[in-house]
Amino acid sequence: MTVTALPEISARRRRTDKVMRGVLLVGTVIALVPLGLILYYLLYKGLGTWNSSFFTTDPNGNFFGNHGGIRSAIFGTLEIVGFATVISVPAGIGVALFLTEYGKNSRFANVVRYFVDVMTGVPSIVFGLFIYISLVISHIGGGFTAWKGALAVSLLMLPIVIRSSEVVLLLVPTSLREAALALGAPRWRVITRVVLPTSLSGLITGSLLAVARGMGETAPLLFTVSSAFVLTGNLSSQMNTLPVQIFTDIKSPEPAITARAWGAGLTLVTLVLIINVIARLIARRSRMA
Amino acid sequence: MQETRHQFREDLKELERQVLGGLDLVIQQLDRALESVSYQDVELAGMVVADDDRIDGRYLEVHQGILSLLARQAPVAGDLRIVAALLHVIRCIERMGDQCVNIAKLVPLSGYESPKDKDILDAIERMGQLARSQVSQAKEALASRNVELSQDLVRQDAEINALNRKIFRRAVEVGDEIDMREWGMFMILVARCLERIGDNTVDIAEQVVFVVTGLFREMADASSPGEHARSR
Amino acid sequence: MIPPETNIEEPTRMSTPGGPPEQAQEAPDLSALGVKEGAGHAVSVKGLHAYYGEQHALKGIDLEFPANEVTALIGPSGCGKSTMVRCINRMHEEIPGARAEGSVTLDDVDVYGDGVDVTSVRRMIGMVFQKPNPFPTMSIFDNVAAGLRLTGTKSDNLRERVHKALRAVGLWGEVKNRLSEAGTGLSGGQQQRLCIARTVAVEPEVILMDEPCSALDPIATLRVEELIDELKGRYTIVIVTHNMQQAARVADSTVFMLGGEVVEHAPTNDVFTNPKDERTERYVTGKFG
Repeated sequence: MTVTALPEISARRRRTDKVMRGVLLVGTVIALVPLGLILYYLLYKGLGTWNSSFFTTDPNGNFFGNHGGIRSAIFGTLEIVGFATVISVPAGIGVALFLTEYGKNSRFANVVRYFVDVMTGVPSIVFGLFIYISLVISHIGGGFTAWKGALAVSLLMLPIVIRSSEVVLLLVPTSLREAALALGAPRWRVITRVVLPTSLSGLITGSLLAVARGMGETAPLLFTVSSAFVLTGNLSSQMNTLPVQIFTDIKSPEPAITARAWGAGLTLVTLVLIINVIARLIARRSRMA
Repeated sequence: MQETRHQFREDLKELERQVLGGLDLVIQQLDRALESVSYQDVELAGMVVADDDRIDGRYLEVHQGILSLLARQAPVAGDLRIVAALLHVIRCIERMGDQCVNIAKLVPLSGYESPKDKDILDAIERMGQLARSQVSQAKEALASRNVELSQDLVRQDAEINALNRKIFRRAVEVGDEIDMREWGMFMILVARCLERIGDNTVDIAEQVVFVVTGLFREMADASSPGEHARSR
Repeated sequence: MIPPETNIEEPTRMSTPGGPPEQAQEAPDLSALGVKEGAGHAVSVKGLHAYYGEQHALKGIDLEFPANEVTALIGPSGCGKSTMVRCINRMHEEIPGARAEGSVTLDDVDVYGDGVDVTSVRRMIGMVFQKPNPFPTMSIFDNVAAGLRLTGTKSDNLRERVHKALRAVGLWGEVKNRLSEAGTGLSGGQQQRLCIARTVAVEPEVILMDEPCSALDPIATLRVEELIDELKGRYTIVIVTHNMQQAARVADSTVFMLGGEVVEHAPTNDVFTNPKDERTERYVTGKFG
């Protein structure tokens, strides 16, 4: 019995394959080049400024002499973004839960989804302006304050949290909800004891990504928090933040100050990187469990 | 598009064909056995005995086929009833074949120049005709799943049983002389074989009714008068 | 047919673990549960109609499910058998747009009555699904306890109840040393028995099973079937199956459904040896499906 020979791959096909691979490779490299350049520049210009006093002293507004570090900026960013997270994450997960568990495909839910999508596209400066007009100018609870900045940042984080949470919640198999319901559990318990624990790591990952985004936004902070030099924990006062610090410093004619801006930029990118890494680790751990 | 379980239906039909063919074999054997009795044909009788192997072989084939079908196809409901019935019927066929052999074996024993009694001979001939027609009718009833034909077999069987008793009495009557007595006893045995064949056809009739209705009713015959229905 | 004088004994069971570990088949031990033998309850369905939006899925079902018996529902896809069981424990209405009318009484209580709490219905009527669905974030112990915790049942002897449930389904020997391990680490057959243990731990009166063995291999299937045979001594069981041989093995009576209606309801033996309806005959012999 003879064995039928399978036709060989044609030379033309082989060439096309190679060309395709080459083209995609080139495209990838081109896309990565700017990223590489950014990182290189940051490191090149900013790494030099990193020393212990950089992280332990506040900027002092001096034009001459010692300009101080960026301690207050770091703490300010962490505090404001932290506060924003406390507002936006529970609210965002709550909305996502409503959309997946109760609203589902109802008219109202679809309208909500539409508006959330719109919100993700709104430029961050608009959020800043909104808070500026509604709270800052009207001097409700003070002029420029940190908590108003946190509010603006939370508004911009909110749609991201909602979107990513909804995706994760939808990934929870219906069979699990059914199993819990069939045991006689009331719906809210199904959510708290089954749906949330199952999707927890995904929710955390999504929230952390929103946090990383929130950390880097300058515009909303400019109109709401303004800036400051000293380290302060008071949310009702003005506070320094990394993005604003960079914004101000980079315009300075004094090279040492611009150098500080680069250093701050590097710090900011590093913070975002750390958060992303933590998010990935959480995601991976949950997958392996 | 093929009907579902096409192979299964084919296999089942084939088994039925083999069983019906077995009934044809029985009719053949019966004809030859009766002929050998009428004409004292020892050679023909010998053929009947030898050919019983074909019926036995048919039995084994069908038996094996049924086991295979049960194992592979798990028949239920109507299909299950027909399979169970075929198993029963092929056994009846095998027994009928044996009865034909018994008749054939009696031929050489009953002698070449035996005294003959006309009444007995006529009765035997009549019994033979009835038995043959009963087997034929049983085949028809099975092939066409006909309940009326099946029930009619009981009526015919009553006649065969009556003839059997008649031959017995007649043999006793004419049994004064030893040769006649001996011949008479052989004829009684032949009659008994034919009567057994009749009983087997009634069994087949019961199976046909079971296949069609799902109820098993033992039909009245001379040995067990009265009917009692059992649903299986 | 068994003559009346025959003494029907319980078949002797294989001994519990102590024998060769891999092959030891642990006998389900229901005496541990504390539910009395023959304590089952009958379910009665009258004039049940079910809809998916405009689609009329069940067209006036009248059925009796006798206590302490296994009733099987068979029929081609789309005949309404799954819908039927889901109406018994009111899971049907969890599907958006679905509704049911009619009465389903457990003993004398209509589960569709006014003011009846759905969660209490489901506590009394448990359900096992086609694909085993243990809660992935919970350990084996927690999975079995889930029913009790999710329904807010206060229980001082929780541990005991969990152990009893595991014994009842014949899983105890296999998992007693790894109760804190994830429920999803078990084999398919074990997971399904875990889900049955979870259902049984709540001590329902009726157990519904929607194709419980479809996702299992043949040996696991047989073990679950044996378990069903044991369980019927204490519960009333309704099983939906598309495997006719399974219905033949397991059920006391069988219901054949077609196009949302009941065609025939008879003792299993009759359905498979001498069905009354032509359509039933054609279905069980495979002339259509």
